[in-house]
Amino acid sequence: MNGIQPPTIEYGQLSPLLLVFGAAIVGVLIEALAPRYLRKSLQMPVTLLGLVGAFALVLTVVMQGVPTKAAAEGAIAVDGPALFIWGVILVLAVISVLLINDDNEFVASAAAVPGTPEEEDAIAAGGAHTEIYPLALFAIGGMMLFASANDLLIMFVALEVMSLPLYLLCGLARRRRLLSQEASVKYFLLGAFSSAFFLYGMALVYGFAGTVSLAGISDALGAVGGQNTLLLIGAGMLGVGLLFKIGAAPFQAWKPDVYQGAPTPITALMASGTLVAAFGAVLRVFWVALGNLDWDWRPVMWGVAILTMVAGAVLAITQTDIKRMLAYSSIAHAGFLLTGVIATGAEAQNALSLKGILFYLVAYGITTVGAFAVVTMVRDAGGEAGHLSRWAGLGKRSPALAGVFAFFLLAFAGIPLTSGFFGKYAVFAAAVAGGAVPLVIVGVVSSAVAAFFYVRVIVLMFFSEPAPDGPTIAVPSVGTAGVVAIAAAATVVLGIYPEPVLRLAEDAASTLFIR
Amino acid sequence: MEPAKIVEHAGGVIGASWLMIALPLLGAAILLLGGRRTDRWGHLLGVAMSLASFVVAVVTFFELIGLPGGERRRAVGLFEFIPGLVDMGLLIDPLSISFALLITGVGSLIHIYSIGYMSHDPGRRRFFSYLNLFVAAMLLLVLSHNYVGLYIGWEGVGLASYLLIGFWQYKPSAATAAQKAFIVNRVGDFGLAIGIFTIWTTFGSVTFQGVFESTLKPEQGVLTAIGLLLLLGACGKSAQVPLQSWLLDAMEGPTPVSALIHAATMVTAGVYLVVRSGAVFFPEGSTAALFAAIVGTVTLLAGAIIGMAKDDIKKGLAGSTMSQIGYMMLGAAFGPVGYAFAIGHLITHGFFKANLFLGAGSVMHAMNDEVNMRRYGALRKALPVTFYTFLIGYLAIIGFPLLSGYFTKDGIIETVIHHNEVLGWLAVLGAGLTGFYMSRMVFMTFFGEKRWADDAHPHESPAVMTIPLVLLSIGSIFLGGYLVLGGRFMTFLGPAVGMPEGGVPAFHPFTVPGLATLALVAVGAAIAWLRYGRVPVPVTAPRGSFLTTFARRDLYGDALNESLFMRPGQWLTRIAVFFDNRGVDGLVNGLAAGIGGTSGRLRRVQTGFARSYALSILFGAAVVAGALLLVGNL
Amino acid sequence: MTTHYLVLSALLFAIGAVGVLVRRNAIVIFMCVELMLNACNLAFVTFARQHGNLDGQLIAFFVMVVAAAEVVVGLAIIVTIFRTRRSASVDDANLLKY
Repeated sequence: MNGIQPPTIEYGQLSPLLLVFGAAIVGVLIEALAPRYLRKSLQMPVTLLGLVGAFALVLTVVMQGVPTKAAAEGAIAVDGPALFIWGVILVLAVISVLLINDDNEFVASAAAVPGTPEEEDAIAAGGAHTEIYPLALFAIGGMMLFASANDLLIMFVALEVMSLPLYLLCGLARRRRLLSQEASVKYFLLGAFSSAFFLYGMALVYGFAGTVSLAGISDALGAVGGQNTLLLIGAGMLGVGLLFKIGAAPFQAWKPDVYQGAPTPITALMASGTLVAAFGAVLRVFWVALGNLDWDWRPVMWGVAILTMVAGAVLAITQTDIKRMLAYSSIAHAGFLLTGVIATGAEAQNALSLKGILFYLVAYGITTVGAFAVVTMVRDAGGEAGHLSRWAGLGKRSPALAGVFAFFLLAFAGIPLTSGFFGKYAVFAAAVAGGAVPLVIVGVVSSAVAAFFYVRVIVLMFFSEPAPDGPTIAVPSVGTAGVVAIAAAATVVLGIYPEPVLRLAEDAASTLFIR
Repeated sequence: MEPAKIVEHAGGVIGASWLMIALPLLGAAILLLGGRRTDRWGHLLGVAMSLASFVVAVVTFFELIGLPGGERRRAVGLFEFIPGLVDMGLLIDPLSISFALLITGVGSLIHIYSIGYMSHDPGRRRFFSYLNLFVAAMLLLVLSHNYVGLYIGWEGVGLASYLLIGFWQYKPSAATAAQKAFIVNRVGDFGLAIGIFTIWTTFGSVTFQGVFESTLKPEQGVLTAIGLLLLLGACGKSAQVPLQSWLLDAMEGPTPVSALIHAATMVTAGVYLVVRSGAVFFPEGSTAALFAAIVGTVTLLAGAIIGMAKDDIKKGLAGSTMSQIGYMMLGAAFGPVGYAFAIGHLITHGFFKANLFLGAGSVMHAMNDEVNMRRYGALRKALPVTFYTFLIGYLAIIGFPLLSGYFTKDGIIETVIHHNEVLGWLAVLGAGLTGFYMSRMVFMTFFGEKRWADDAHPHESPAVMTIPLVLLSIGSIFLGGYLVLGGRFMTFLGPAVGMPEGGVPAFHPFTVPGLATLALVAVGAAIAWLRYGRVPVPVTAPRGSFLTTFARRDLYGDALNESLFMRPGQWLTRIAVFFDNRGVDGLVNGLAAGIGGTSGRLRRVQTGFARSYALSILFGAAVVAGALLLVGNL
Repeated sequence: MTTHYLVLSALLFAIGAVGVLVRRNAIVIFMCVELMLNACNLAFVTFARQHGNLDGQLIAFFVMVVAAAEVVVGLAIIVTIFRTRRSASVDDANLLKY
């Protein structure tokens, strides 16, 4: 026996991850040790410092040169795309946390049954669950790990670390608690169900390859080819778990329900961060591990992408709740992004598609957080005014807010001079270059259908008479106002001067994924 | 001589000339986003940004003239706009820098003037943010080195103009006027957009360099078509016949807006477009150039006739603006000499028309916003500074010898007569009409007896308003002579638009057309004196002859629009609707209804039962795995 | 002779999946999901034996930990909704739809 070799861990490269998880653990300790009245004033700085510090660490890692070898014995790949996605997730997380910081959104006491004296007491006592900060941090850390996992086991663990806190956070809305709890239980059961598929797929792929490292699977594929039943079913089930997370049809059913029921800041975090992370994972599994199987998965992905784009756009038309509509819009956007995932080929083509996807994720993520931030500000007696009819005439009551929201919607629709335009352009151009022309045609047609319902909301806001007892516009906290301003500014800047971010995405994409 | 080649440029102040656009844009953004917080100092920031932009323009100008003549066309690349298709960048050359100086210089003076003019308006900050937005967009329009950037600026100034015309949106007339301007401009913009698309398909490029220095030789027919499309765009923005009707209504906006946008700068964008594209799309003697000349001539007469009958001082000036831009458009149709005089007139006009408008604004300010000249009279004592500066502007515009307008307008007339006698003599006639309507305006406003409303107590405007007037009137006196004598401006502009064969023509003060022009102007002024100076002016307008009515109704422009476009349009629409309902619409509506219906039905699949969602996941998993197996074993 | 174990694992997975679809009680559904995870564990261990490496057995431990964490979160959520609605039936939670 020659003793046990200790593993080499590249702490420098992993420092952003470690900092986020560290901050989350500090948050848990604060919950355990600090007195109740101090917790909020401690949690917020810890959370923000953790996230901003992690972003700074990401920059340092980039400055020191993007690593060319997977870290932690090949378990985690800190490569160009991973660093880019980390940066994006952290930026989205910071602005989402600013939204989460608004007290008004979260339950005073989760254990109190809605509508009981107990709950009223908790509200009167000014109770608050400061656990949301560490929970959010764990979810964010999970997202980062999910997008950089270089073997399936790490990916599975990251999937759960990301999802479990989100299941809980979904159930913590202050108002309409029945909806919130329902969203939570649905998300939990379906999420657990889909991760069981992911796990079984992983087992089958392990059975085929004898390893769960992405590179190992790729090598095994290269040696054998794609005729193995075990492998094909395994790949399909892995795909189910991942497609569930991005909300691709036919696995999209949870998205509208959960987005509607969850507290809006959490919806913002899920709609932006989770989507970004999940696309990172999708790309890693399908491009790195199953890259040699692309002839087999591509036709299936074609079907999924078309179904997702069409379902998202068509179903959004008849929605009457603003958050549900945004959920369907998110489904449609996931479909647009999938066209980029499909457009693989030679290395240059892959870099082009990857660049498009990365830029799209930035553009869509920031605009989404901004849009949900606006949703938190339009309120009724019973909380947010979700029903679209309540938004009628908003442009007359609050032109600035309605204008910003209209601008976000135009960005979703991909109108030129907004970030959405360049996002769509980059992804569709890559897809055309990759030979997926019919897919792009479907994409453009569904964009047109989607544009219809965005414009419908704009028309509703600006050309309808406001209801006499219409919703009030909450005076935003500094955080919420900041989020709206940042998102609007980013949407404008990326729409007029996208080059720096495009170049950054190009640089990140040029190295592709390391193996 | 051909225009100089465009060379890439980096560094120096020219390399940083994007600041010219960025500064006012930043100002607009701060003022719009800052909201009420910026109310207190917003106007000062607006002025500062405009002045800063002017300083950049001046420094850029001096750096540019420091270069040898043949190298004075510098393209500054900024960033990739639509990757692979359009790069954003600026073209700094004598033409664009002339415009930039005019826009930022006159613009800054008008910003300063507005501090006083808008001091009582609660929306002053918003007003300054729109002004800044306008300056930024206008600079983008003239500085962009490609047609797409030009188009974005073009739409930007349209937006700013819309916002500013409708600035007092509580007045229904202002809101309507804003809408009208917007809609009429859509027609022109549509032409411009199609023109740019055609340029792109023809030349494979939208940059000026790519188009003007292209080695392709497209068919003449295509070039003419593009020229006419661009001309349509120019007609919309520059209020040329047949798209002139919006300009008169646009006077509903605050007066500084009329001065800045609807007299000095934005309405000249059409002339810029024609001159900029001249070498390729409007060469001397081409069909497109002939059309431009005819449009210019018709407009210069129409504008003058409208100006003759208006009692509203601003509308009178608006008619005059139309007319003067008609001169520029006419001049721009006749090659390099014409370009130099057209742009020269554009610049001097920018000064004296801004001077006149701001003077009119000062009068209105003194008279409780009264615009009817029949309620003015004898104001020269009450408003001395306004009177003398207005007088200078008046003398400049009628072409009084040795003032600015004399040199540039005379230059245009001489050039045109040299090429085309008919149009040239019509332009001379137009000068006579100018002499009449401008003299009428001066007599009715400043001379005669008081016809003021009972509560009017005219008082001279504050210094912040009169100083810009004085500065503008200095420009109105000297600028024309400075530019034209010795062919200074033509030589300066040469690298950008080309030089005439055989060098710069010398300036002859005593030519037949020149003397005829002066004589006609004198006759016009004399008639005006007989009608409005010597005899008292009735407070209510007399019915007037058929011709007066004709002119008062804007030459029935609106009625014409209505009968030529609206009525047949309505008929066409009705016919189209008829067929539409059965055919096209059936399809479109059917499609929309189909999608909506599908959507409504599919929604029901979302039952809300977690278990049925799980079923769909399982089903999806089975399909995905099955499909993979199927594909894998093919 | 690992095939039998794989078949057993597939059966367990299928039983779990069907259980999720046909049972109404959230706790039972959740138990069915756990059954699916355990089916995966069986598959991992079997494949580990087949390949002669330890990865699969190792993964099984990870899965157990993850499943335990999932139980904590899941029971918390289910208990909350039970306290609110006095019912653990997932079909009763049916406000979010269309």
